[in-house]
Formats: sequence, C-alpha cells, structure tokens
Amino acid sequence: MPLEPMTRTAVDVADPAAVPRTEAGQDAGTLISLLAANARTHGATVAMRERDRGVWREFTWSQMLQEVLAFAAWLDAQRFKPGEGLLVIGDNRPQLYFGMLSAAALRGLAAPVYPDTPPDDLTFYAGNSRARFALAEDQEKVDKLLELRNRSGLPEVIVYDDPRGLANYTQEGLYAWTEVAAIGAKRLQDEPGLRDDLIGRAKPSDVAVLLHSSGTTGKPKGVPLQHRRVIAAARNAQKADYFREGDELVAYLPMAWVGDFVFTVSAGIALRFTANIPERQETVLHNLREVAPTVYFASPRSWDAMLTHVQVGIAESTRFKRWLYYRFMPLAVRIETARIEGKAPSLTDRLLHGLGEALVYAPLRDHLGLSRAERAYTAGEAIGEDTFLFFRALGLNLKQFYGQTENCALTAAQKTGDVKLNTVGQPLPGVDIKIADDGEILLRADSVFDGYFNDDASSAKALANGWLHTGDAGYVQPDGHLVVLGRVGEVVHTKSGERYIPTYIENRLKFSQYVKDAAVIGDGRDYLASLMCIDMNAVGHWAEENGVTYTSYAELSQRPEVYALIEGVIRHVNSLLPPALAIRRFVNLPKEFDPDDGEVTRTRKLRRNVIDEHYAGVIAALYDGSTSVEHRARITYETGATGTLDRKLAIKDIEAA
Amino acid sequence: MLYRLAGIRHTTYRSARQLFPIPFDRKLLGFVILLGVAAPFYLSPLHLNSYLLPWVIWTTAALGLNLLMGWAGQVHLGYAAVMAIGAYAAIHATRFGLPLEAALLVGGLASSVIGLAFGAAALRVKGLYLAVTTLAMQSIVDWTIVHVPAISGGSQATLQAPTLRLFGLPIETDAGRYWYALGLCAIVTVFLLNVSRTSFGRALVAVREKDFAAAIIGVSPFKFKLLAFWCSSFIGGVTGAILAFCYYRAITPEQFHLEVSIQVVAMVIVGGLGSVLGSYFGAGLVLLAPIFLNNWVASLASALNLSLQTDVLSQIPLVLYGGLIVGFLLFEPLGLAKIYDNVRNYFLVWPFRHAR
Repeated sequence: MPLEPMTRTAVDVADPAAVPRTEAGQDAGTLISLLAANARTHGATVAMRERDRGVWREFTWSQMLQEVLAFAAWLDAQRFKPGEGLLVIGDNRPQLYFGMLSAAALRGLAAPVYPDTPPDDLTFYAGNSRARFALAEDQEKVDKLLELRNRSGLPEVIVYDDPRGLANYTQEGLYAWTEVAAIGAKRLQDEPGLRDDLIGRAKPSDVAVLLHSSGTTGKPKGVPLQHRRVIAAARNAQKADYFREGDELVAYLPMAWVGDFVFTVSAGIALRFTANIPERQETVLHNLREVAPTVYFASPRSWDAMLTHVQVGIAESTRFKRWLYYRFMPLAVRIETARIEGKAPSLTDRLLHGLGEALVYAPLRDHLGLSRAERAYTAGEAIGEDTFLFFRALGLNLKQFYGQTENCALTAAQKTGDVKLNTVGQPLPGVDIKIADDGEILLRADSVFDGYFNDDASSAKALANGWLHTGDAGYVQPDGHLVVLGRVGEVVHTKSGERYIPTYIENRLKFSQYVKDAAVIGDGRDYLASLMCIDMNAVGHWAEENGVTYTSYAELSQRPEVYALIEGVIRHVNSLLPPALAIRRFVNLPKEFDPDDGEVTRTRKLRRNVIDEHYAGVIAALYDGSTSVEHRARITYETGATGTLDRKLAIKDIEAA
Repeated sequence: MLYRLAGIRHTTYRSARQLFPIPFDRKLLGFVILLGVAAPFYLSPLHLNSYLLPWVIWTTAALGLNLLMGWAGQVHLGYAAVMAIGAYAAIHATRFGLPLEAALLVGGLASSVIGLAFGAAALRVKGLYLAVTTLAMQSIVDWTIVHVPAISGGSQATLQAPTLRLFGLPIETDAGRYWYALGLCAIVTVFLLNVSRTSFGRALVAVREKDFAAAIIGVSPFKFKLLAFWCSSFIGGVTGAILAFCYYRAITPEQFHLEVSIQVVAMVIVGGLGSVLGSYFGAGLVLLAPIFLNNWVASLASALNLSLQTDVLSQIPLVLYGGLIVGFLLFEPLGLAKIYDNVRNYFLVWPFRHAR
C-alpha cells in the first residue's frame, strides 16, 4: 500500500526550554517512596492478589512494603551494589515484582526477562546487566539459571520463589525467598534506621527497571527507565482518564514487557491499583472472570482469540441461543459502526439494542469477565476491524493506544467517544508529537527514556535534537489523530517502484482468523508473494466441520481445501489494495513462525532477515513459476536442540480478479 | 442470562465452599423464603392448611428419608412406622407433663433407637433384602401400635394431641402451627445442605457407592450405616410428632400405614435421590398433584359438559397422576431436582451450551 500523503502538522509544540527534561520529575518521588506512602495512608488496602491453589492470596500495601524492604535488606547485606543487575525470570508472581522493587530501592538494575528466553539470549541479558543476582520463579527457571552460571559465571546468587522440587539442590548461592526475606526482616528489626534509609536511598533519576527492546533488527538493546519517567507515564495516562486511582487489573502479560511494568508496578503504585495475578498462564481467561477487572489490556492477538472463543462457543450452542446471537450481534455491530461514523441509531434500533443487552451482550461480557471493565485497551499492532467492532458492539469501551518501550509504552491513545478505526488516537497529555520530513514520528515527553544502556551511539541517534526518534512511519490527521503505518525502515519498493509497508498488508491478512502469521515478500520483485502460516485452532476447527482429515499442522497446511480457504482470504485483502500491490502467489508453510527459531521476536514481530534466510528456497520458487518446492525446515526446541522437517510445499497462483 | 458470575472470587477455602456462592441463587432463595414465611398473609386458610402445611411437613419427612436413601444408599420401606413411633412417643411424653420441645426430642430418640435396631439388619443384608427387612419393621410396628392399648388406646381409638406450645406459650392459630412446622423444616434443610460438605456426608456417599470399598479407604461402613439410620430415624420421629401436633392434631394407627411409607419413598425418588431441593419438589408433586389434577379434571368435565360417571371421573386423575410420575422419571431418571438443575444450567451458561 502506498504511503498516504504526509500531513506535517506539528501538534501543539510546547517550548522545550520551559521545563528542562533533565530537571523534570525530580520532585515526583520514586516508586519506593510512593509505595511507602501507600503503606502509610492505605496500609490495609489490598495491593496484590495472587491465585494460589484455587484461592486468592492477598497482599496489602503494608505487607508489600515489608516484603520489598526485607528482600532489599538482605540484598544489601549481600553487598548488592548500585548499578548491579538483578535478573528476574518467571511468570508474573508477587515476589518477583517485590524483588524488582527491592533492587530499585538499592539503586540496582532490575532486569526482567521473558521466561522462555533461550540460553544464548539469556547470556547476553545477564552480561549486559552485570547480573550477579537472579530471582527465579520455580525449579525450571533455577535450572536455566544454573546452566547459565556454568556457561558465563553469572549469576552467583539465585533466589527462588516456589520451593517445589528444589529440596535436594545443593548448589552454592541458592536460596528460597522465604528464607532470605526472614533474614532481611530480622535485619530491619535489629537496625532501626535501616527502614527509612532503604526507602530514601533511590532518587527519582535512578533506574527503576532495565528492559530490553524487542529488537526486530539485530541484538536487543537495554532500555533503562528512571523512576521519574515511569511515574510521569502513569500520571499522563491518568490525566487522559486512561487509568483511574484504585483500578483493578489483571497482571498476566510478560513481566519483561514494558507495558506490564508501567501498568502493574508504576501505575499500580502511583495510582494504587489492585493487581490480580492469575494462577498460571493457561488459566488467565478463567481467572479473569473471577477478577472482573475495571481496566483490562490485551494484545490484538488475545482479543482475536477471545472472539474465536466466543464464536466457537456460539457455533455449538443450542439452536435458540444461537438464533438470538445471530439476531442481536450483527445489530449491535451495525449500530456501533454507525456510531463511529457519527450517526445516532433509530428508536427501533435502540429498543432492540436494549433487548439484546439483556439477552446477549451483558451475559457475554459476564462470561468473558469483562462486565466491570470500564476501559479496555489494545496496542502493539493493528487490531482487526471485525474484532475491534465486535467488542465495542458488545458494550466494551475498547480503545487502541500506541507507544514504545523508550517512552514507557504510553504515547497516544484514543479517547472515549472519539474512536476511529484507522488511527491510534491523540497524544496523551504531556506528550508532544511531530512528524519528521521522512515521515518518522518524533515525540517528546517527560516519560521518554534517557538513552540506551551502554550504547551511547544508539542513544544519541534515538534522542537527536531532544526528540525521541520512534522509527515508526506515520502522519497526523487534521483532526489531531495519529496514524501509524509501520516501521520507517520497512518501507520497501517493488521493481516497478510501488511503495508499500509489508507489515501493513500482513496485518490485514492476519485479521482473518485462519491466518496466524504472514510474511509478504516483494522488495525489488515484479509482484508480491506471501508465506502463510495457518492458525491451527481455527483451521483445525474448520477442517473438522468440513470433513477435511489431517494428522498434523504440516499436513493440514498442505491440504488443497486449506489452500482454497487461504486463497479466499488473500483475494479479499487484494480487493482492498491497489492492483499493483496484489499478492500473486503464496505458499502455506508447514510450521508456524517460532521465536525459538528466531523467525519472530518474543512479541511475535517478524524478523525478516531470518525468514529470508530460512525460506530462501521457497522464496526463489515463488518467483520462478514452479508449482511446488522441496523445503527443509529447521526447528529449534526450547532446550536449544534442533531438528529438521522435510516437506514438499505447494505453491498457488492467484490470478487478477 | 440471569446469572452473573464475574467477580466472584474467594480468598479462603471456607468461602469457596459456601452453600450459595452465586448472587442470583441467593436472591432467588431469599425470595422463596420470603414467600414461604409470608404465606399465611396471602393464602386462604384452605390453601395454607391443606396444601402448604402438609407440603412443608412431608418435605421434612422426605429430607429425613433422603439422608438414608440418597446419601447413604440404604433402602427403607418402613419410614411411616418410624414417624409413628415419634408421634406416639411425643404425645405420650406431653401427657406425662414434659414440655413440647422435650417431647419432640423424646419422639426423635424413641424413633432413632428403634430405627437403629432394625437398621442394624442393614449391616448384614443389602438391597432387596434390606427392603424386605424394613417392610417387616413396618408390619411389626403397625401391629404393636394397634395391639398395645397403652400406646394407641386400642385399634379404633384416636389419640388427641395436646395444644402446640413454644417455650410454654400455646400456639392456637393456623399461621402459628404453619410457622412451627416451617421452622423445623428449615432446621432439617440447613442440616442436610451442610451434610454434603462435611466428612460425615462424604463418608455416607462412600458407603453408598460401595461399602467394602469405603472400608478399604478407612471409612467404617458399620459406623456410618448405623449413624445414617440413627440420624434419619431421629428426623423421621420428630417429623412424625410435628405431623401429629401441627397437622392431624389427633392420631390413629391408620395414618402411618404402609402406603404412607411408599409415598415418602416416592417423594424421595421422584424428587431426586441425594438432593435437598428434590425433596421439596418430590413432596410437592406426590402430595399436591392428585389434588390439583382432581380439581382440574372436575372443572374441565363440567366446562366441557361431559357427563361422565363419577367412578370414571375419580379414576382419571389417578391415571394422570401415575402417568405424570412415570413421565417425569422417563424424561429425567434423576428426578425433578435434576430437571431443575438442567434448566438452571441452561441459564447459567447462557448464551453457550456448556460451561467454557
């Protein structure tokens, strides 16, 4: 798709010299001092809930402060120095959050990493943050860290939360959380001044957390975020009514993702949220219903999965209930579509909608656990129009926002009552946005970070002239809404000179429930072609209903019926694109793109250079007119072992309609 | 559609095990309790005394038998005899000058002691053989009551029940008697609701499923079969006394014959074995369906101007009644409670087919 003409509107550029960024937020306090304030004013209020063996275990603000300080006191006794790293690995657990805050209290670097990080990347993270200490969720993570220690010597000290299976581990420097927290608590008791010393030790300009950017190109970069930055982000979001004080939220997103830190920890402390942590990743949807959060965030992918979950449930529901659903759901979508275009529904529609609310919408919201969710959000990539409209029609105030790790995840957001399908909304209060001459989105805010970790060259580039260079291409509409097209570096040209952003087309392909991933190829070629990964759940279900037999993902993907199905999806997307950018040939891959194979990042963004390399033969075949190709797929298992998969893949042409 | 489950979470196992965790169930229950308590204010004396009062008392009896049949899995075809023992013992106790509350206890204890003696047979015999043993109990008790004038006052005698009293205060109104019976029914209901979530209830279920398997996992069938007979007979005895004091107010041996036993068994089975709610439904159907069917058939016949012979007219309701019970059991062998449960689930998972 060719880039839209750029409207270069500098939106409300404040005088950059008014409050120098270096001084901003020095009086905002730190996460630790705010936590202590919460413990003082709302000590008995619940700060965190963790679902543990079927019931919710609660931590009040004063308990949370006590745990944070106790662990900090122990770390301090172990000579944990400022600037030293604490590697945090595991799924969301209260103790892991506490540990991150303890490290921040000692001016150290809390470095959360994705729990499924392979050993090589883990070595990089540990070395980059000089992590002499590590905090692990359970035995599995401890094993991973012990192996890491064998390879690199770091981390020397490992503290684990869940002691299950670790009773017979005799390695040195291995401690249980309860054990060290007790030692720390005793120290706090014995040394009267220690408590206030620990609370006051960190300064607003100290690093609160060290995250790693997803790194679509090359190695990940360390992104240290200071206390004042993450607090500013939370305050900006509050001003935009994005968060409210005392919200209930579900903390289930990876702890290494910037959004989780800003929502759960930073906004959680600054705005006194109650964070609810599900029992396990697999039980999130079930636990969500028990929590019924007031604010809920999910990636477009999760919203899609939720929609599929509803549709599959309705498809096998009783005849009457199904009839009701098919009678009332399209009505709501129609009303919502009209409302976004600014049209008020007719009286009949309003009456029918009221009936549908009682019969379909409210029960569905209750089932999903979103009946109390006054604000629901999505971000990370474009959300499918169908999915977006479905949940808005259901009565959820679903909005998109836009942000990046470097700006604490919160840059622009849609406002209630001012939602557009193709934009990410307006900049949050306190955020200035400007479009550079090459179409890059530049921004300036108190929440912008202060440079990459140990990488001055990149930092200078990212923060040139006092603006954060996001690397995203986009434009601002006359009404102030920001449109994000894709990465600046991703703009590519076909042989005939047509400009397009592959991600843009891929996202539209992925809006189909049958497509899990897609990679569009065409840089310097005559026409576009695509590598498709089918969605096992949706296509599997479709196959069952249509009598298509299969045994595995690989076999299912190669069925002619499935090729016809995917061709239909591509034809639909082609009809929305200029003819020069239509996809002419495609192939179904015998496996999904996998972060372990390096084909996508942990946040499921494509790594195009890896894909080009892995599928070189297939891509060549897409452009030499052959109807099939032999392909040997490389598979990396979570242990790091590799295997191969030999398959003959069909290639299908799509003639111009 | 009616149920809202989002936001129901528990911070302790105790709260996770509460009887009615779902708000809609609690509201419905509150409404039904309100209806039940306020019944004397909106029902005519006929409906209160002839429909609702017996329903409440027979529900209590069905609950007592359900504990034995539904939870512990022991057949009992002589429950009317158990109730008779309670009724006679309680009346004789008040005649000796005991306060009514004590008399009810005496009735219950008398029933449970004698019931236990016959229940002990259950340790030796099972299934059909136990059914026959309890049948023998029915005959022996019937015979004894009729033939011992000290108990019944003779085969044709009617024993007048003294005035109902609560802590010495006489209760002479219909509403008072109804509330008295309702109070007892409530106590027994709460007891049985809680049985299911106690070790006692789980032990009974273990014995029901397979007594020697229960023995292997350390649940003594000896102890729990006897306990089941003891508890069930105690409830039966007290209910029999309440039946005498609140409803019949004078008792004769015919009131506790075999067909009454069969009727209580029918209530339990039609309502649903092992279900508290089922006992209410079962007692309601067995007790009230014949009355309503009679009224409807009669009014229908007169409305359609059908000149049927009276004996045909009186048979039709019985045929329908039999058909109704068979129909319900064919439709849902697990009883009326299961039908209610199906309907409840239909709304509970709305708009889906099953829990997701």
